[in-house]
Amino acid sequence: MTTARRLSLLATAALLAGCASVSPDGLRGDVTALTAGRTAGVPQAALPAMAPAARAQAQQSIDHWLAQPLTQDAAVHIALLNNPGLLARLAALGVADAERVQAITLPNPHLTLGRFTTSQEREMERTLAFGLLDLITLPWRTARQAERLQIATLQTAQDVVTLAADTRRAWLRAVAAEQVAATHERMVEAAEAGAELARRMAQVGNWSRLQQAREQVVLHEATRQRARAQLAAATEREQLNRRMGLWGQQTQYQLANQLPPLPAAALPADGIEATALRERLDVQAARRQLDTQATRQGWSRAGAVFGDIGLAYSRNTTTERATGSSDIKRGWEIDLPLPLFDWGGAARTRAQAEVEQSAAQLQDTAVRARSEVRAAWLTYRTALDLARQQQAEVVPLRQLIAQETTLRYNGMLASVWDMLTEARNSTQAVANAIEAQRDFWLAETDLQLALTGTSPGALQGLTSGAAASTTPQGH
Amino acid sequence: MNRRNFFSGAATAVAAASVSRVALAALPEPATQSSADTAPPLHPPTGRPYNPVVTLNGWTAPWRMNAGVKEFHLVAEPVVREVAPGFMVNMWGYNGQSPGPTIEVVEGDRVRIFVTNRLPEHTTIHWHGQRLPNGMDGVGGLTQPAIQPGKTFVYEFVARRPGTFMYHPHADEMVQMAMGMMGLWITHPNVGKGATHPHIAKVQRDYAFLLNAFDVEPGSMTPKVNTMLDHNIWCWNSRVFPAISPLVARQGERVRIRVGNLTMTNHPIHLHGHEFEVTGTDGGPVPKSARWPEVTTDVAVGQMRQIELIADEPGDWALHCHKSHHTMGAMGHSVPTMIGVDHRGLVGKIQKIVPDYMVMGERGMADMGAMEMPLPDNTFPMMTGTGPFGPLEMGGMFTTLKVRADQPAGSYADPGDFKQPSGNQAYEWQGAAANTPRPVRTDTPGTAPGAASARKPATGTHQH
Ligand SMILES: [Cu+2]
Repeated sequence: MTTARRLSLLATAALLAGCASVSPDGLRGDVTALTAGRTAGVPQAALPAMAPAARAQAQQSIDHWLAQPLTQDAAVHIALLNNPGLLARLAALGVADAERVQAITLPNPHLTLGRFTTSQEREMERTLAFGLLDLITLPWRTARQAERLQIATLQTAQDVVTLAADTRRAWLRAVAAEQVAATHERMVEAAEAGAELARRMAQVGNWSRLQQAREQVVLHEATRQRARAQLAAATEREQLNRRMGLWGQQTQYQLANQLPPLPAAALPADGIEATALRERLDVQAARRQLDTQATRQGWSRAGAVFGDIGLAYSRNTTTERATGSSDIKRGWEIDLPLPLFDWGGAARTRAQAEVEQSAAQLQDTAVRARSEVRAAWLTYRTALDLARQQQAEVVPLRQLIAQETTLRYNGMLASVWDMLTEARNSTQAVANAIEAQRDFWLAETDLQLALTGTSPGALQGLTSGAAASTTPQGH
Repeated sequence: MNRRNFFSGAATAVAAASVSRVALAALPEPATQSSADTAPPLHPPTGRPYNPVVTLNGWTAPWRMNAGVKEFHLVAEPVVREVAPGFMVNMWGYNGQSPGPTIEVVEGDRVRIFVTNRLPEHTTIHWHGQRLPNGMDGVGGLTQPAIQPGKTFVYEFVARRPGTFMYHPHADEMVQMAMGMMGLWITHPNVGKGATHPHIAKVQRDYAFLLNAFDVEPGSMTPKVNTMLDHNIWCWNSRVFPAISPLVARQGERVRIRVGNLTMTNHPIHLHGHEFEVTGTDGGPVPKSARWPEVTTDVAVGQMRQIELIADEPGDWALHCHKSHHTMGAMGHSVPTMIGVDHRGLVGKIQKIVPDYMVMGERGMADMGAMEMPLPDNTFPMMTGTGPFGPLEMGGMFTTLKVRADQPAGSYADPGDFKQPSGNQAYEWQGAAANTPRPVRTDTPGTAPGAASARKPATGTHQH
């Protein structure tokens, strides 16, 4: 074998393994591309970078966002840059990529060196051997590993959109809870005035202890509800902190003081199922999973039958000790298993079953996606109607009742307590409107997720499916 | 006080003096009234002569003579009554107003009344207090079938007895009266020229009104027909002070006031500055020997009282129901007493919640009469009305008898505020302030007799 021929052989091997290089950004670019337009309404959400300089800059952006009243977009930006769970998930994707490269790199050839001496001869034995099957199946395996990685990337992308949605929900809940707590402050003030006036009424003998007690109970009820509202505001904020990965000084930020206004028109229901089937990442992942299993079916037959085909090249040198004359023996050796006992039937059956499994999972995902998007749209539509009703009808009515009660107070037709009660009712209607507005935006978030992202349940379903395949995907 | 032209808005129809025979065979044209003001007395153009009455904030129905019979046409219909300027109430009435027009006839007149029903439900008219054939008594179901919507019935009888009467439905009676359906009927005595009835004096002024009451929820327009006693709009002829016309008299004139009660409670009608006698009821004239002087007469439910006095004291004399809540507008019956409650430190706190809030009732309710606070739409205030010396703090069954030395005979024009002669009016003491030591106040609430030991005395935590 000439040197040239040897080099060409190595080059071929290198070429085959050429596509098997690790992605320099840990596939974050791929994830970013997949999640574009799917991160809870934030168009250009950046993911944590690998480069330390970029990370420092991201930290600066986070500090900047936190320095002003926190908007929902800023919250999503911060969460995607700063959530440790997501960081771990992205790192795992990098690990999966490395594993992919490792999996399709040709195994190093075995070089066997032997030195044997008898009384007459000294024999040098050199054998260069490597498994042929790996070489034969390399294109298959390359494609399959690439597909697997695509699935892993899709799944990571789902994690990103889920986190974005979770963060938006947490922001909506936190802002609403803070606003509601403020309304309870007002309700307590009204109850305090009523209770104090009641105390003075009883003091001068205009009211009985019974009448006074009724107003005192009103005050206690108001303070009880305020305590709960304040606790809710604090815990919802902590939920948001967790999504954004914040702790310590960074949690001192100020929240925006209003939820976004209700939209003028609702999204139409036309074509939502088609959109979901086309856009949803979980549907895409399930489809890719099925493709992969189908491709693997072909490979599995050869692999099962010819389990381990070996090819070896030997060059043995025999030197006569007495004469010193050498004799060189060269030769190829091929090692084939005999398919006497395992004709690969089990492996084929398994592959077939796996294709069926993947097909069923795709169907399951599609059915779920269709149903989820229908349910999400209905919830969205109803939430919008309810929020509009509360905002455009109930709050003005409650305000009218409060104003009319004040007019009746003016005419000595109603008492101060009637007026204060209606002021509390009016404030409660505002609190209900805030909650209805929040519920609408939560429903809107769910709808967007169901339309173009994923469903929270889908991730688990796909994860178990991926775990059934032979090579761990770096979860 | 109401200074509106006393006689603006006369009846829109005039008595038909000469009508053709063909027309007489048809229904008389019903007259209708669009004004809530007091119409001038209707001197009889036809028939026997008499001295007409003045119906406070009302009018007398014109009639036509048809072969010696006085024919009237009453139309029962929904109306919108101006109970006070700016306060309109959906009522049921007759010929455009509630109450309906006063019917004035003379003892011995044969009277034919056409009654057309434009209400959504059936009705009848009962001629309260009259001697008449039983079948003309107007009790739905008992003496006649009810008049269905769109139908016209004819009542006909001779006004046998002079006196003051009323008319009102006797079909779904409670609802229809709660909606304002009622009217006055005056039968003047039939006396020859220059002669006088032994028990019915000639008077220079003859006023008549009905007491009626409504429950109109503040901010609404239609009476609550199921309210039994807790009414909030106490009216004379579906009108409340200060929108009730004053009664005027020239000093020394004999004045008759006829008051009928179609509410569901009694009303002690009280006149200031004069004594009067009850000279008649719906039962007829009271013999002189049976009269006694009064300054208040109680008009029970379904009763008519006819009082007479000599208006010899000049001035503006209050004439009102003596039930003090009947001289009030809409009230909040469950509003607690706020007198003596210190509001310091709370006003700002309440205004933070209700910006328009103002303290009221801390010293009493007189604030209400003085303050011009915005009220619900179409709401008659609890107390209102202003005189020459400030707010009157009245509303409801209140007006004045204005006696003037220079009031022209037969003129019903409002003479304006009385000019108090000097030295004849209460005035403020200018000397040293009064020394009025207050009695020692007991600040501990009392206990029920015999219950002193039933409850343990509070220890320590008592607020006083
Ligand atoms: Cu009264």
